[in-house]
Amino acid sequence: MYKYVFRRVYQLIIVFFLFLVSSYVLFDAIPGNAFQNLLLNPDLPPEAYEQVIKLYGLDKPLSERVILYIGNFFQGDFGYSYKHFPRTPIELIAERLPRTLMLFAMVNIIAFYTGFLIGKILAWRRGSKSETWITVTSVFSYTIFYPWWALMMLWFFGYKLNWLPIGKFLYPEKWYDAPYDSDVIFVSMIKFTLVVSVVQILVYIYTRNIESLSLRRNVRFISLSILAILSILYWNSGDLAIQKPYAMDIAYHMILPIFTVTVVAFAGTALLTRTTMMEVMKDDFILTARAKGLSQKRIRDRHAARNALLPVVTSFIFTIVTIIDGSVLTETIFSWPGMGQLILDAVLEEDIPVAMASFSFIGVFALIAHFIADISYAYLDPRIRIQSQG
Amino acid sequence: MNILEVKDLDMSYRTIDGEVEAVKKVSFTVKEGESFGIVGESGCGKTSVAMSLLQLQADNGKITNGEIIFNGKNIVGLNEAELREVRWSGISIVFQGAMNSWNPVVKIGEQIREAMREHYPDKTKDENTKKIIELFDIVGLESSIIDRFPHELSGGMKQRAVIALALSCDPKLIIADEPTTALDVVIQDQILKEIRKVQDVLGLSLIYISHDIAVIAEMTDNMAVMYAGSIVEMGKTSKVFSDPKHAYTRMLLESTPSIVGPKKKLRSLDGEPPSLINTDPYCLFSYRCPNPDDNCQNRKIEMKLTKIDTDHYVDKCCVNCG
Repeated sequence: MYKYVFRRVYQLIIVFFLFLVSSYVLFDAIPGNAFQNLLLNPDLPPEAYEQVIKLYGLDKPLSERVILYIGNFFQGDFGYSYKHFPRTPIELIAERLPRTLMLFAMVNIIAFYTGFLIGKILAWRRGSKSETWITVTSVFSYTIFYPWWALMMLWFFGYKLNWLPIGKFLYPEKWYDAPYDSDVIFVSMIKFTLVVSVVQILVYIYTRNIESLSLRRNVRFISLSILAILSILYWNSGDLAIQKPYAMDIAYHMILPIFTVTVVAFAGTALLTRTTMMEVMKDDFILTARAKGLSQKRIRDRHAARNALLPVVTSFIFTIVTIIDGSVLTETIFSWPGMGQLILDAVLEEDIPVAMASFSFIGVFALIAHFIADISYAYLDPRIRIQSQG
Repeated sequence: MNILEVKDLDMSYRTIDGEVEAVKKVSFTVKEGESFGIVGESGCGKTSVAMSLLQLQADNGKITNGEIIFNGKNIVGLNEAELREVRWSGISIVFQGAMNSWNPVVKIGEQIREAMREHYPDKTKDENTKKIIELFDIVGLESSIIDRFPHELSGGMKQRAVIALALSCDPKLIIADEPTTALDVVIQDQILKEIRKVQDVLGLSLIYISHDIAVIAEMTDNMAVMYAGSIVEMGKTSKVFSDPKHAYTRMLLESTPSIVGPKKKLRSLDGEPPSLINTDPYCLFSYRCPNPDDNCQNRKIEMKLTKIDTDHYVDKCCVNCG
């Protein structure tokens, strides 16, 4: 297993290196550069423009620049943003990332769970009327033209009903004399969500070995209740009591984007789960499980859904990268100033250091996600575990 | 004492082309501690009978008539919860093709324990594990297999483990549905011996389903021959073998080579099994009967088992012809 992990890490480093080089070359291939609009200013002599180009090292040939950039990159120097000069790309990312992370981590987790849940119920109720209707609805929401859908949602919930805010991630007037920066709030929200999810997973893992089913259910219920009470206490203590109203404001702004993206994103998972699970349900071990006298729910969850999980997790891993880059479309439509907008602006303005830093950040994340996927396959399917040892 | 009594069981599958009557008016009884064999060609309804006993038939299958009296109680028409109690702790099944009877992602021990947990909710994990080790001992498996995944076992080991699984909830009746189909001959023999041993040691009743008439001869006390969804001959195994009355039984016997006695040419049966969609109540074997008499050819006699001797029943149509 260690050998396997080592080999994978080694491959990932090479892939990442190639990714960096090709990204840089591609950015360079875009015609023009970030400072060309200086030439349009009649008050500036052309020498000034050349001076600036020289200052940023853009006069050097491409090969030299690539080597320089990658050398600096691995020393942790990402340069300065061309457009927000004194700020570094890392500062910009540090500001934008928590916003995107919070929103899209939520979206992905909710979409995955609802998708998987609905998919397995659909497969289990094959042939019923509700199955037909939900499947048709899922196909509809899977194929819907996303920008139109997002605008419709904004119009309906934000304008017509006026229940939810139209865009932005906070009400500026509320934050006028806020003691905290919005990023601080985002970070504590992320920390909280992370801790809660980890505790939930731990509760699930540790109660798995309780033999009696009713006891297991009760233990899980009680521990989740304790967790809920603890989190209420947590948000009412010390610093966080002051942060709470602001966190609530952000959460309120998150409802509409989460709902809109989830409606589109869950359908893919649901349909995939439905198909794979229907395949699994034909297998003989499902018949064995029924003959053993197990309950329908247990056969569905433990035997059918568990075996259908692998392809679903694979597709989930591929979409997980959107946690970082955000959907550029979503962020634009909902005016959510996160990573997606940062990348879009950086590319349009040819702010190469920022674009490169964001892209390499996404690259690292994607590679790590795939690495985790490989390892989780081994956990999900013991047959892969054996092969990977050899 | 009869552990199982099946009376006039009808079962059909709904398909696009019409009702497929897979099991027609099947009646038989299994006594306590006895083994009962069902033999017949593919598609004759053997497995459908087995599945009806636990009501595990596919969604489009339905028991339309008849009673299944298990341990003095009719189990046809019970609701899901009542059926779940009968399943495994009353009647358990050793399925055909043990390769696929195991969930590939759950350890063997856990899959057995899961059934025990359902039927004996008060037992602790250690008690269950102890019992599994005892069962593994009976079927000749090492106790370490509890922590193995199905793909780490050979076919024979899997089938042994399936037998242990079938025994885990102390059933009164075990249905062995072609348990040796996917195994090589040597392993087949071992598994058959294992099943016999288990039956003797635990005093279980057994229904053995196979297309291999030789195995039936070896394994069972009483047997039934099925053809096109009906039982055409039934009786003591020794009697059916020594004096087969139905033409189909005779053909089955003649199609199997014997290692004792004079050399004989093996016979094969012409024609194909009939379609079971919307059949009439007359003898379905008459199309393939080697020497039909007038009644048989004109298909006038309804199918019905008739007693011709103590413990020997044969289909009415074939009493005279064949």
